[in-house]
Amino acid sequence: MRYLAEYRDADIAKTLIARIKARATRQWTLMEVCGGQTHTIVRQGLDELLVGAVEMIHGPGCPVCVTPLEQIDKALAIAARPGVIFTSFGDMLRVPGSDCDLQQVRARGGDVKVVYSPLDALALAQRNPDKEVVFFAVGFETTAPANAMAVWRARDLGVSNFSVLVSHVTVPPAITAILDAPDNRVQGFLAAGHVCAVMGWEEYEPIAAKYKVPIIVTGFEPVDILEGISMAVAQLEDGRHEVENQYVRSVRRQGTPPARALVAKVFELANRQWRGIGEIPMSGLRLRPEFAAYDAEQKFGVAGLTVSEPAACKAGDVLTGRIKPPQCLAFGTACTPERPLGAPMVSTEGACSAYYNLARYRTAESTEVTP
Amino acid sequence: MCLGIPGKIHSIRDDAGLTMGVVDFGGVRRDVCLQYVADEVAVGDYVIVHVGFAITRVDEEEAQRTFEILKEMSQLDELEWMADLVEKGKGAGETA
Ligand code: SF4
Repeated sequence: MRYLAEYRDADIAKTLIARIKARATRQWTLMEVCGGQTHTIVRQGLDELLVGAVEMIHGPGCPVCVTPLEQIDKALAIAARPGVIFTSFGDMLRVPGSDCDLQQVRARGGDVKVVYSPLDALALAQRNPDKEVVFFAVGFETTAPANAMAVWRARDLGVSNFSVLVSHVTVPPAITAILDAPDNRVQGFLAAGHVCAVMGWEEYEPIAAKYKVPIIVTGFEPVDILEGISMAVAQLEDGRHEVENQYVRSVRRQGTPPARALVAKVFELANRQWRGIGEIPMSGLRLRPEFAAYDAEQKFGVAGLTVSEPAACKAGDVLTGRIKPPQCLAFGTACTPERPLGAPMVSTEGACSAYYNLARYRTAESTEVTP
Repeated sequence: MCLGIPGKIHSIRDDAGLTMGVVDFGGVRRDVCLQYVADEVAVGDYVIVHVGFAITRVDEEEAQRTFEILKEMSQLDELEWMADLVEKGKGAGETA
């Protein structure tokens, strides 16, 4: 068992880096899927410390970043309606839609509220029977159980003035899409520990076998990530391609079965647009037909809305690892965290914002974990 | 929204068929749905909470370590505004 002091000890990180470098006979290309991992890697400069042994490509694992523009525009259209209370996680408020964001809708008189849990949105609907309360149900597998429960409860309790605008995405189809791309360079993945805490890792096993890539379920702190990288490099050097779990402490192979079960009762797999990437087959969740009464797209008639994304934003290339954020011409000029052009600049989990904040992190924390 | 926050279960109750509880996040207490882990937790246990839902049980040591790391990564903004609300006496976990 490890202890906090040991975890934050730069010596362990140094040892792991030395082990990875000693083991690598060539430079391997790995992708971390989770935005929290991207944040740690960029902030601690792990990518730079591993040059020659490993190149890290930053994956699409930031739910705010991949929510497609058309879903944001639908949210804006619904939120602007009279009689609607539009509720959302705080991270979504500043994600730019085609002409504004949710914060601006609020400034213009729209009733937009931030909630911490979708159950808070449901409670709001119960307290305001004369209003329509809509919740923006976004996220990966980590938020799906919460959103599924809110819909399930609404039906159980007969709350008919509650609905959800669903924009759920799932990780395994995104990994498959990246591997299927003709110019794919990724040779191994760090899967997101928290997503696997819910879903387990059974779904990754056929992917590892079919594409012959190691997939390591990994935590999001520096030593976790280095350990995950070390396990991936060991597999690549040995010619193995298995699913391994670095993040053993809270993840079980089957995840959290009651959560998976309710998600499957409320949602079904559907094709889903990923911002900047395009449609990935069967990569999202939508409400099952029996829950149509809770589908905000149908309730407010916005299902048909489609839009095209701003050409200047290279989010798709960033999210699939074709370029690093500073290679986008808008980076730091037309696009900053204060005035984001694309979603990866909005969220702290987004790769563009992680790179933008890099200089600040490095100066403020040069005495900390950075080995 | 994606990274879970670890906290300690302070109390457990039944809310019209749903297992709910109060979870303490480093001093900030909040209502959390415990339905998905109801079979494996008791008061005093630690859980990882995503958007108001306990998703998995963890041991105390891991919970504390994760909490420190999240603090370091400034990923606890959610808790900060939760704390703000508690101070303002609104407490319901929503903001205007
Ligand atoms: S820097 Fe801004 S414009 Fe460029 S890819 Fe990132 S979010 Fe899009």
